[in-house]
Amino acid sequence: MAEPLLKLENVTAGYGDAVVLHNVSLELPENGSLALLGRNGVGKSTLLLTIMGYTQMRSGRVLWRGQDVSKVPPHKRATMGFGWVAQEREIFPSLTVEENLTVAARPGPWDLAAVFKMFPRLNERRRNMGNQLSGGEQQMLATARALMTNPALLLLDEPCEGLAPVIVDELIAAMKLLLDDKRIAIILVEQHTEIALELTADAIVLERGTVAHAAPAPVLAKDTATLERLVGLRVAATV
Amino acid sequence: MLPPFFGVLFDGLAYGMLLFVLSVGLSVTLGLMNFVNLAHCAFAMLGGYVTVTLVNEFHWPFLATLPAAFVAAALASVVLERFFYRRLYRASDLDQVLLTIGFAFISVAVAAYIFGTLQQPIQAPEFLRGSSTFLGLAFGNYRMFLIGVAIVVTVLLIAGLEYTRFGAQVRAAVDNQRMARGLGIDVDRTFAATFALGSGLAGLGGALAIEIVGLDPSFSFTYLVYVLIIVSVGGLGSIAGSFAAACLIGVSDIAGKYYAPELGAFLIYLVMVVVLMWKPAGLFGKR
Repeated sequence: MAEPLLKLENVTAGYGDAVVLHNVSLELPENGSLALLGRNGVGKSTLLLTIMGYTQMRSGRVLWRGQDVSKVPPHKRATMGFGWVAQEREIFPSLTVEENLTVAARPGPWDLAAVFKMFPRLNERRRNMGNQLSGGEQQMLATARALMTNPALLLLDEPCEGLAPVIVDELIAAMKLLLDDKRIAIILVEQHTEIALELTADAIVLERGTVAHAAPAPVLAKDTATLERLVGLRVAATV
Repeated sequence: MLPPFFGVLFDGLAYGMLLFVLSVGLSVTLGLMNFVNLAHCAFAMLGGYVTVTLVNEFHWPFLATLPAAFVAAALASVVLERFFYRRLYRASDLDQVLLTIGFAFISVAVAAYIFGTLQQPIQAPEFLRGSSTFLGLAFGNYRMFLIGVAIVVTVLLIAGLEYTRFGAQVRAAVDNQRMARGLGIDVDRTFAATFALGSGLAGLGGALAIEIVGLDPSFSFTYLVYVLIIVSVGGLGSIAGSFAAACLIGVSDIAGKYYAPELGAFLIYLVMVVVLMWKPAGLFGKR
């Protein structure tokens, strides 16, 4: 195996004076998949933001295909192949659905035809403005918008949060398709632990800003004791 | 001669078109980027002096100096943006006002030092002088030319912002800078280009203004007042709003001076107060 796609080495980072992540290390191979689990407020979103370059790094390094990108600004990381789907979806309200998709698109296999095939509903809504969409449509649009930049890595921040079960099923099917396709790596932050572990190959659990546990996803899925301890009632509640 | 009513309306519209070209750039930078640039008319004045110099010293044809005025103002704004303005995008309004009004004062002093404080004379080309008669009414050629330029600018701007990828990137960056960066849009460069475009239009406006209102070093401040009124009456960031407000202010200014000389230049302030009491966000404003 050559260089990993993404590698974090002892990353300590946060916002201004507030340090949120302490000594986080992780590795993701090309086309790999990693579930990022943990209770609310343990730093999962902050970790994604740190990978994108939005937080202040105190120490440690972020490596992309072996190259240190710790000081590279977010828009450059995006052009290098980082793709980020924000938790709040953050659709551009004054752009149409189609403009949201094409505004930052870069050439590659993911074009309008490809994302419309994955999310036909977006095709029906292509002339609508970004602020006229339901939550599920926004999530599809945010995911499709990131895919249109043809990233090598997709960071998904709680894609299923607050959505109806039918929509969740559709999104899970889309993520399965992406992973089976073997052209993209995914880091998935998800409150629905069992969904995440079913999709991904590896998993890490964060607690108070550090990696409390790391294991292959199928192993962690059976390790109810660890899940109970680190993720809590979620497991019982969502089964 | 035109009957007074049509004459006032036509002159007012032409004057409004001039004010529109001067102000639309500020509407974009203030409305879209939330940057208070009180040196906007200093860029306009720069465009004016570029045209004066090229016509009088280098004998360029007037029309050829217009793109030069645009480019000079745009380039000057890129330099200022890169070294000064960019640092203040996230600063308070007061900081932005203090910096940019400082530049406006500097521009007045520099213009007075180089060109003196007298009005700069300029001779418009033959075909833009005099007037043409349609349906028995005489229209000033230069004023018709102004209206034509303003319509072209409006169409290009709306088309550029609404229907091009660059326009979509500007709107995306304005909607949500963080997300725009996260998708790979170089927000700093997008804003710098937008800013240069707005300043370039001001430069064009300054060049077009010489024939109508003259040019001296006080231009930076005299027209800043008009431009700010138009931006607030039209609504921040709205091109159509600036267009409507510029027509309204242009016509009221000329009408005020013609029909009520004792009220004179104050009519536009009354119009502004009435519009803003009726619609505090401006005619086409959203916030």
